[in-house]
Amino acid sequence: MSTHNVPETFSIPVGPLHVALEEPMYFKIDVQGETVSHIDINAGHAHRGIEYLTTKRTMYQNVVLTERICSLCSNSHPQTFAMAAEKIAGIEVPERGIYLRTVADEMKRVTSHLFNVALLVHLVGYETYFMHMMQVREIGQDMLESIFGNRQDIGAMCIGGVRYDLDDKSIAYIKGALDKIEAETKDIIKTFKTNGSILRRTKGVGVLTHAEAITCGVVGPVARASGVDYDVRREAPYAAYDRLPLVVHSLTDGDVWSRAMVRLEEILTSIDLLRVCLRDLPGGPVNINDRPDIPPGQAVTRSEAPRGEVIYYLRTNDTPQPERVKWRVPTFMNWDSLRFMLQDAKVADIAMIVNSIDPCLSCTER
Amino acid sequence: MNFLTIFARNLKQGPQTEAFPLGPAFTPERLRGRIEFNADHCEGCRICERVCPANAIRFAKTPDGMTFDCWHNTCVFCGNCEFYCPTDAIHQTNDWDLSHVNADKFDMVEHGLIPNQKCVECGATALNTAPVIKNAKPPLSAEEYTELRARCPKCRAKYLKNRKVPA
Ligand code: SF4
Ligand code: SF4
Repeated sequence: MSTHNVPETFSIPVGPLHVALEEPMYFKIDVQGETVSHIDINAGHAHRGIEYLTTKRTMYQNVVLTERICSLCSNSHPQTFAMAAEKIAGIEVPERGIYLRTVADEMKRVTSHLFNVALLVHLVGYETYFMHMMQVREIGQDMLESIFGNRQDIGAMCIGGVRYDLDDKSIAYIKGALDKIEAETKDIIKTFKTNGSILRRTKGVGVLTHAEAITCGVVGPVARASGVDYDVRREAPYAAYDRLPLVVHSLTDGDVWSRAMVRLEEILTSIDLLRVCLRDLPGGPVNINDRPDIPPGQAVTRSEAPRGEVIYYLRTNDTPQPERVKWRVPTFMNWDSLRFMLQDAKVADIAMIVNSIDPCLSCTER
Repeated sequence: MNFLTIFARNLKQGPQTEAFPLGPAFTPERLRGRIEFNADHCEGCRICERVCPANAIRFAKTPDGMTFDCWHNTCVFCGNCEFYCPTDAIHQTNDWDLSHVNADKFDMVEHGLIPNQKCVECGATALNTAPVIKNAKPPLSAEEYTELRARCPKCRAKYLKNRKVPA
């Protein structure tokens, strides 16, 4: 066969079940040689029916159900849901509960970010370091399991406060674990800044410019890595964030490396916030110690999940079940930006770029 | 830390993976595992049944009293029941090992019975639940508790009302 019979562009399907993608998303990718020339993103391969289910459960059962929407943002969902219910019912969370909500939120952020960056290292092909990073994350997972009783669905939230409490022993334990994670994370950051293999694979790859980031309306670390200096914790503080020395990290390059670096820096910030929370933890009850009926009404609340802004809309009526619960999750905003990131990318980088938006389809295609 | 240092440290520490099943698995005290029910402390309020998101808890009226069943294979270990239970009648142990052979699948149930009793005052048949005494002031003595518990709900209310409260 002569070479001029070979078409210049090929179409390759990536997903919805694919070795390099953990989640059911379908990309139809046109390639020219090794380079991506056109991307079609097709979502909607899974439907879990959770929005419908929430209207079949009572408000108090839904705190548990919303926690199971996403395993890595599993604290942000019930928290935002509870915030909406509290807004409708005019419930005020006690001061100690507010701080403990922040503690739970930041602990989850640490382990979620470590997981994403570890996966990036895995996709870069640096397996040994991937194992090492997962081991660092394991310190955080053990911490979650020891404090909350579960590695993922930590069950910290309830309407009106939190379900757990800390004593001197557990505070000392958390502090010890944070020290370990902090030292290791600093090393990981150093490695990310110096290691040739990581730099070569991630620098200047999958770029999302500031203008494109604004066009797509991206949120979370994806936005911050493209110079969009936006964090719900600062813009619309909830829990105890208005009293904490929150540093919002943003970079300007918008490449895979920047997104990983924003996450790594945020881990250090989360650890700082946790230390301040544990130091300033006020006394008193952790929740309202009641199970009031939520009156009819509607509310919108939002919070900064590890992947970015999550928004809840809740409408209640006279029944114990909500009339409608709707949430907008960060991945829904972020995946459109893949069109820009994947344009002119190398085929070998596709999985890495997709991973860099920290996609979560279990909450997007609920 | 450069990689050689990590390597040396890991060599010294040995494998990070747990030795289970050849050794014990990491099990924190607070781990939320298998449900345990204590019928003696139960007030029969059935709040746990209502807040359970998985419908794992079922109460049923039988000739002997009220039965409690919690299906471990339906339970999602969320801990809502324990959290909202006004007494500590239901709680999550840190036992996570629920593996069992298929033949035993219908035995994976925590079962309890709140038995019927005859009210010592009026003779009516009523459940021998733990009395609700959270708001009783001053707190009941042990004898008072036993006396109260032996009554039906109506006579319990009467008993608490007529209780001589020292000034
Ligand atoms: S176990 Fe607790 S919540 Fe359930 S019925 Fe008994 S007292 Fe009520
Ligand atoms: S732990 Fe949760 S799912 Fe299990 S019985 Fe209790 S309320 Fe139901």
